[in-house]
Amino acid sequence: MNEVVEKTGLLAEPAGKGVVPRTDAVTAKKEPRILVCDGNEAAAWGVVLSRPDMVAVYPITPQSSLAEYVAQFVADGVLDAELVEAEGEHSVLSVLHGAALAGARTYTASCGQGLAFMFEPYFRTPNLRLPIVMSIVNRDGITPQCVWGGQQDAMTVREVGWVQLFCETVQEVLDTIVMAYRIAEDRSVMLPVNVNHDGNYLSNGIVRIELPDQAEVNDFLGTPDVNWHAALDPDRPMGVDPLTGGATGPGPALFVGYRRGHCEGMQNALRVIVEVHEEWARRFGRRYAPLVEEYRLDEADHALVTIGSMAGAAKDAVDAARDRGERVGLIRIKTLRPFPLDAMVAALDKVRAVGVVDRAVSYGWNSGPVHQETLAALQHCRHRIPCLSLIGGLAGADLTQTHFERAIAETAKLLDAPCPREPVWLNAEDR
Amino acid sequence: MSATPTIAFDPARCDGCGDCMRACASAKSTHGNTAQSRIRIVHDDEAGHWGVAQCRQCGDPRCASVCPAAALAKGDDGVVAWDAGRCVNCLICTAGCTFGGIAFSADEGHVVKCDQCAGAPQCVAACTRGALRYVTAAKLYNRWGELEDLFVPGLGGCQGCNTELIMRHTLRRVGPNTVLATPPGCIPGMGSVGYNGMLGCKVPVFHPLLTNTASMLTGIRRQHKRKGRNVTALALAGDGGAGDVGFQSLSGAAERGEQILFVCVDNEGYMNTGAQRSGSTTYGAWTATTPIGDSARGKAQDAKNLPLLMMWHGCEYVATASTAFMEDFYAKLEAALDASERGFAYLHLYSPCTSGWRFPSASNIEVARTAVETNFAVLWEYRREQGLTLSRDIDDPLPVTDYLKLLGKFRHLDPAQIAHIEQHVAEQAQVLRELAGMRSREGKRIVCHPSDSMAVDLDQ
Ligand code: SF4
Ligand code: SF4
Repeated sequence: MNEVVEKTGLLAEPAGKGVVPRTDAVTAKKEPRILVCDGNEAAAWGVVLSRPDMVAVYPITPQSSLAEYVAQFVADGVLDAELVEAEGEHSVLSVLHGAALAGARTYTASCGQGLAFMFEPYFRTPNLRLPIVMSIVNRDGITPQCVWGGQQDAMTVREVGWVQLFCETVQEVLDTIVMAYRIAEDRSVMLPVNVNHDGNYLSNGIVRIELPDQAEVNDFLGTPDVNWHAALDPDRPMGVDPLTGGATGPGPALFVGYRRGHCEGMQNALRVIVEVHEEWARRFGRRYAPLVEEYRLDEADHALVTIGSMAGAAKDAVDAARDRGERVGLIRIKTLRPFPLDAMVAALDKVRAVGVVDRAVSYGWNSGPVHQETLAALQHCRHRIPCLSLIGGLAGADLTQTHFERAIAETAKLLDAPCPREPVWLNAEDR
Repeated sequence: MSATPTIAFDPARCDGCGDCMRACASAKSTHGNTAQSRIRIVHDDEAGHWGVAQCRQCGDPRCASVCPAAALAKGDDGVVAWDAGRCVNCLICTAGCTFGGIAFSADEGHVVKCDQCAGAPQCVAACTRGALRYVTAAKLYNRWGELEDLFVPGLGGCQGCNTELIMRHTLRRVGPNTVLATPPGCIPGMGSVGYNGMLGCKVPVFHPLLTNTASMLTGIRRQHKRKGRNVTALALAGDGGAGDVGFQSLSGAAERGEQILFVCVDNEGYMNTGAQRSGSTTYGAWTATTPIGDSARGKAQDAKNLPLLMMWHGCEYVATASTAFMEDFYAKLEAALDASERGFAYLHLYSPCTSGWRFPSASNIEVARTAVETNFAVLWEYRREQGLTLSRDIDDPLPVTDYLKLLGKFRHLDPAQIAHIEQHVAEQAQVLRELAGMRSREGKRIVCHPSDSMAVDLDQ
């Protein structure tokens, strides 16, 4: 890694030294540095560029190398941040609670069982309106014992109130982490953001990416200081999180106030996510659909709905099907929370059937969680269209172009026949 | 009425020279004979130091209350004045005073007592050793008396609970440049974090989760330090939030040497939620979840020794204290605050619970004192450089039963259970004795922290 550090010249120009205020225009655009790395290292570079005050880490597969990269960057002086090697994920997020309440920009990463262990403070983070950015290197749940990819972790916590973004590529992981700070710290949002990238696929797959220039990122992010939000400052004593609620008195109304404010912050995030992605595209030349990506939906009869890295193989399958003359497209959800209802309805309105591919299951619905989200969105569409649940990629299983060709074929059947209530298990026959 | 001055005596500084007596006698008597002095310095052979017999200018003077002639009365200046016109020379006042503060003078033919020389006491001026000081009463009782009380009045504690005493004195000493964490338990229950917008505290205060107090303080302390500010990160936590479900974060922060002052107010159970058992509940105690029945007789296990566990983390400072020994508590608080500038400081306070332990609300301090005097709770101190030291002699304790009989939670104990407790208390005392005397083969004091030579100096 030191080699990479030297190659990129960042050692000579440590991040976090000197605060550059945000300006409206970027004058001289520098040649981007090129890195060959996996998604975990890309995420760590996204952290370096974002210049957090405090990073707390605890290793868990497949996130571990991300924690290692961040620790190494701190050790090398590339990242000027407080590093807390806490004794577990529960404390990792709790340390960041304290830091954020003292005005820090913060970062951590987790997944799977680590996220489960972190759940108590995780549950509390958005209610405290702490703009913490946290990667989830998505991992399936145990039992059976499994340390591989899957999105059961993030899907299980989607009602907790974090903003949840899902990346398709390694480059998008890096870019989205930087953007996440703008979203989280926007004063109309002030909510924590999960940047999800699929374990194994993105965490370990090595590709060529561009590393944005630090000065340009500084200009994009502005001062790494959310001190206006620092509630635990002896200069202005206040109590954080008093006992609130109860059946009588001002408690219930106060509680409703908190909940509604949180809901409003979530809805505001939809606008902010779009604006931030737009500005990113303008400044750095890489454009991502902020909420819902519509891929080849022009004149499409049916479409797949995907989320995360699986969209890559799915797009290849769509391209191949288009080459054969099938009118099929793809809808990729980048933002799952807040749910981009309008964007999703606009995309769904363009087709007559959809097949939703999930990398997680929803017990009790006998389908996948994104499938349910899509069903709920369909309620607001002009027409009622069939919506099939397909589940694959559990426990790191490969979702190849062949699997998506089957998914397209199953979805095409909906155009002429009733929609099955059973999910299609894409890896059930794999050997 | 504002605080009034009084004359304070420090035996540690007195060498018995008698200058104060000579100064008083020449100011107050015609003969200048020290027998006429209103202050008398006497040697306490048992204690091995000099003591003082002198009027304390009591707030509620016994001399005045026993005087049949109303010749003695406390004035607005704080001095208990003697009125020659009313005195009938019965000398009953000399029997009323337990301090030897008023005595019959044969030369004068009546009782004489200290009048503080109208605000300029000659004895204090004459004392070159600094053993006599002329100070306000508040300073006498508490040398931090002039510090601001950082909790609001009217905290909602149970009647007779000493936790409010602990909270007020701790925060008063630690001061306003503090962020305070009060995890779920009695302390936020008293209103430190407030109810529905009403804050109970004048420093920034928060309600961590029961599980993560030390972790949150880690982030707070480090972030303020990063910004160049030296803010005290203080926890006032119960034993559950410290030693049970909160132990992981406590242990992690201690191992990392975070600069935190963690005060555990140990009332040996989950008292705020209805007196359930915790890992700190002692053997045999009744709690709501270790009830008395045909097949159970209170808690079946001994308490975990949380302060000793903390000591083995190699903390900067660990000590146990009790509200029955306030001066010791203050000294330890001071040391812990100082140590928290360098690393993790842990202070364990034995805190009797009137409602959960079932004793009358007036007896809290008596219970606390008896716990210490019977070795049920031992006061000790650990410093990185000195190792463990006992704060008071534990070799001649009162019988443990003196303590057990004070508490309703032990009412059901049978002889076998009492024997178990007696043995456990004796064993714990022995362990502490041995830890306090621990030496290496070379005779060096053994302290339990990693060698400082392991620290890496990055500048070299
Ligand atoms: S303290 Fe003052 S008034 Fe009292 S005996 Fe001494 S000199 Fe006299
Ligand atoms: S004479 Fe004794 S009882 Fe009277 S005020 Fe002085 S110390 Fe108190």
